[in-house]
Amino acid sequence: MAYAYLFKYIIIGDTGVGKSCLLLQFTDKRFQPVHDLTIGVEFGARMITIDGKQIKLQIWDTAGQESFRSITRSYYRGAAGALLVYDITRRDTFNHLTTWLEDARQHSNSNMVIMLIGNKSDLESRREVKKEEGEAFAREHGLIFMETSAKTASNVEEAFINTAKEIYEKIQEGVFDINNEANGIKIGPQHPTTNSTLSGSQGGQHAGGGCC
Amino acid sequence: MESSDEASSSSVTVNNADESSPWRHRGRERSSSADVIARVQRCPRRPIRSGSDSQEAGPSLRDDVCQTNSPSVKVKCWSASSNGVASCTEGSKVDCCGGGASDLPLDESTCSAPQCINPVTPPSDSDSDTQEGDDDAFNTVGELSPPPPRHRNTYESGRRQSAPGQLVQDHGGSESELQSRRPGLAEYFSRKQRSVPQSAPGWKLFGKVPPKQSPTKQAQIIQQVFSPTHHAAGQQSKRKVEFEPLSTTALILEDRPPNLPAKSAEEAQRHRQQYEQMVAAAKRRELKEAQRRRQQKEQRLRQEELLSNTSLVWNLHILPHWDLMRSSRRAQDLWWGGLPPSVRGRVWSLAVGNELNITAELYEIFLSRAKEKWRSLNETDGAAPAGLERITRDVSRTLPSLLVFHKGGPYHDLLQSILGAYTCYRPDVGYVQGMSSMAAMLILNMDEVEVFISFSNLINRPCQLAFYRVDHQLMLRYFGAYQVFFQETLPRLFLHFQFSGVTPDLYLMDWILSLYMKPLPLDVACRVWDVFFRDGEEFLFRAALGILRLYQDLLLHMDLLLLLTSSPELLLLTCAPSPHLLT
Repeated sequence: MAYAYLFKYIIIGDTGVGKSCLLLQFTDKRFQPVHDLTIGVEFGARMITIDGKQIKLQIWDTAGQESFRSITRSYYRGAAGALLVYDITRRDTFNHLTTWLEDARQHSNSNMVIMLIGNKSDLESRREVKKEEGEAFAREHGLIFMETSAKTASNVEEAFINTAKEIYEKIQEGVFDINNEANGIKIGPQHPTTNSTLSGSQGGQHAGGGCC
Repeated sequence: MESSDEASSSSVTVNNADESSPWRHRGRERSSSADVIARVQRCPRRPIRSGSDSQEAGPSLRDDVCQTNSPSVKVKCWSASSNGVASCTEGSKVDCCGGGASDLPLDESTCSAPQCINPVTPPSDSDSDTQEGDDDAFNTVGELSPPPPRHRNTYESGRRQSAPGQLVQDHGGSESELQSRRPGLAEYFSRKQRSVPQSAPGWKLFGKVPPKQSPTKQAQIIQQVFSPTHHAAGQQSKRKVEFEPLSTTALILEDRPPNLPAKSAEEAQRHRQQYEQMVAAAKRRELKEAQRRRQQKEQRLRQEELLSNTSLVWNLHILPHWDLMRSSRRAQDLWWGGLPPSVRGRVWSLAVGNELNITAELYEIFLSRAKEKWRSLNETDGAAPAGLERITRDVSRTLPSLLVFHKGGPYHDLLQSILGAYTCYRPDVGYVQGMSSMAAMLILNMDEVEVFISFSNLINRPCQLAFYRVDHQLMLRYFGAYQVFFQETLPRLFLHFQFSGVTPDLYLMDWILSLYMKPLPLDVACRVWDVFFRDGEEFLFRAALGILRLYQDLLLHMDLLLLLTSSPELLLLTCAPSPHLLT
C-alpha cells in the first residue's frame, strides 16, 4: 500500500514495563499477558492516517536489559519518534527514566519526538508512581506524556498517533528535513518518479500477505 | 447383512434433513453425506408443506415424502429445480428422476403437472401423499429387517422389479391394514400407486413411519436401524467409505415411477455404464486413500524403528566409549541425522563437557547463596544485585507456550535456581536475557546438576561469552565473518539485505543469544542444538544461512519493513514443514 511518509519509531524503557505488549496492542490489537522476552530488537509496522495522509509507522521494539544498552544505542539513529516507557507499578522503572533520556538524546537526532508513557494504568491498586509525577517529569524535559494500558488498550492508539502528529507538525513547520533519512522519515513511494520502488514494495506486500 | 447396513445408512442420510428425526445424530457422523443433504434440501419442499397445512398428520408425512424421494434423486436433483417444475410434489419428484437422465425434463414436467396442481383440493392431494408415506413405511420396514436381507436400490433392486409378485406378497398384510383406515376418497386418488405397487420399492426405501400411524413399527425400525450400527461401530468408518459411493450413485439405475414413461434400453444401458464408472472411480479413490494411509503408517513405523535402533546404537556402542567414539564416522553420521530424544541430554552433556570442573557441591553453594540474596531482596527491597530480581521476572516468561516455566509451573523454581546460581557463580557475566530460554532447553533434557554444569560450560564458550557479555567488538567480528560467508553462499540475498539496510545484528543477536530457541519451533531448535554440539559455534552461523536460504525466494521479494516484521518462526510455521529444515 502506498504511503505518504514512513516514520521510524523506537520503544525504550526498562525490561518488563510492557514495551512489546504496547507494540502488539498497537499493531495486532491484542494483549498477550506473558510475552516472550525481547532479545536485541523486534519490529512492528502499522499504517495510520493523519491529516488525510497515509503514514506508515515502522516500530523498533528494543530489549530493556542494560546488557543490551550498547546495542540498542545504535538503533536510535534514524528514529523520528521514541516512546519512553515506564511501569506505574514499579518506581525503579520511573527512576531510570533520566538515564534512558540521556541515552536517547545523545544517540538520536535532536528533533526526535519523545513520548513519555506510564504503562499498566489498569493496575491502579498497585500504582507506585502518581500520574502527576509523570506529568511533571514530562514538562521538565519537554516530552509529551500519557498513561496507557496495553492490557485494556487504553490510550495505546493515541500514544502512537499523537507522536506521529507531532512529527507531522514538525515536518509541516519545516523542522525536519524529510530528504535526510537520518531523521527517521522517508517519503513514501507514491510519486511517479519513484515508480520502480513502488512496484517493488507492492510485490513485497503481496509476498507478505500470502505468507502471513 | 451388507445390504441391510447399507439401507440403514441411506435412511440416516435422508433423515438427516429432518431436524426432529431420532436418527439425525447418526447422520452427522457421516460427514460425506453433507452434500447429499444439501441436495436433499435443495429439492423443492416448500410446496409440499404449504399444501399439507390443512391436515394434522400432514407435515411430518410430507416431509417424509420429500425426503423419501430426494435421496433417489440426489444425483441430479438440482437439474429438476432448475427446470422450473419445482412447484409441485409429484412433478418435482418425477422430474428429478426423469430429468436426471437429462433427456426429457420438459415433457416430464408437463405430463406430471396436471396430477398435482390442485391447490383447490388439498385434502386429496395430501391423502395420496399419505398413502405413499405409508407405503414408504412398509418398504422401509421390509427393507431394513435383517431376515431376509434385502438389497436396497442397487442393481438387484432394480432387477427385482421383474418379480414384483414377491414384493406385493411381502407388503400385502400391512397394505390391507392401512386400507381399512383410509377414507374412500383417498383410495380414489391413490389408485395409481395401488395399481403398480411393484414399481415402487426403489423409490420408497427412505421414508420413515409417521409416529401417529404406526408406533410399533417405528420402534421396530429404530431398533433395526440402530442395532447394526452399534454392532458395527468399529467398522463404521471403513464401511462408510465402502458404501457411500454406492448409496448415492446406484440411484441412477432405478426405473422411473409407474406414472412416467419407462427408460429406454439405451438409457438404461447408459445409466448402467455411468453407474459402473462411478463405482469404479470410487473404488479407485478408496484404494488410493487406503494405500496412502498404509504408506503413512509404514513410514511412521519405520521411523520409530529407526529411532529405537539408533538409540540402541548410542546406548550400547557410542556412549560407553565416548572419548573413542565421539569423532568416529558412525557417531558423526548418526549425530547429523538427529539425536534420539532418549539420549539427547546425555550426548549434549558429554559434548559440552566440564572444562570448568563444576561439581554438585559447587552448585549447591551458589544456589544457597542465590537463595540468601533473594531472601534479602524481599526484605530490603532492591538491595540485591539487579540480575537476581530480573531473573524472577523473566523465568515466568520463558517459553510461555510450553506452560511449564510460569509461576507455579513444574519447572519454574528449577529454572530460577539454575539462573540464580549462575549469577552468583559468574557475577562478571551475570544474568542476561536469552539465558533463560537456553537453560530451559537444558532443563527439558537433563537433570538439575547436569543442567548447571552444561549451562555454565556452554556460556563459557567463546562465541556465547562474546554475545552474553555483549562484547561489541567481538560480536562485530563474528558478524563480519558471517557476512563473508553470507555473500559467498547467497549473493543475491546478501545484496538485497545490503540494499535494505538489514544488518546481521538485527536478527542474528536474537538467534544466537537464544541459541535459536526464539526463532524456531522447539523441535527444530533441538535439531539445531544437536548439530551445534557436534560442530561447534560455526554451525550457529551456518544454521542462520540455512534459514535464509530456505526462505530466499520469499525474502527477495520483501522490502525491509516486511522482512523485519515477519519473524522467521512465522515463516517457518506458515510456509514450510519445519522438521525438514535441516534434512
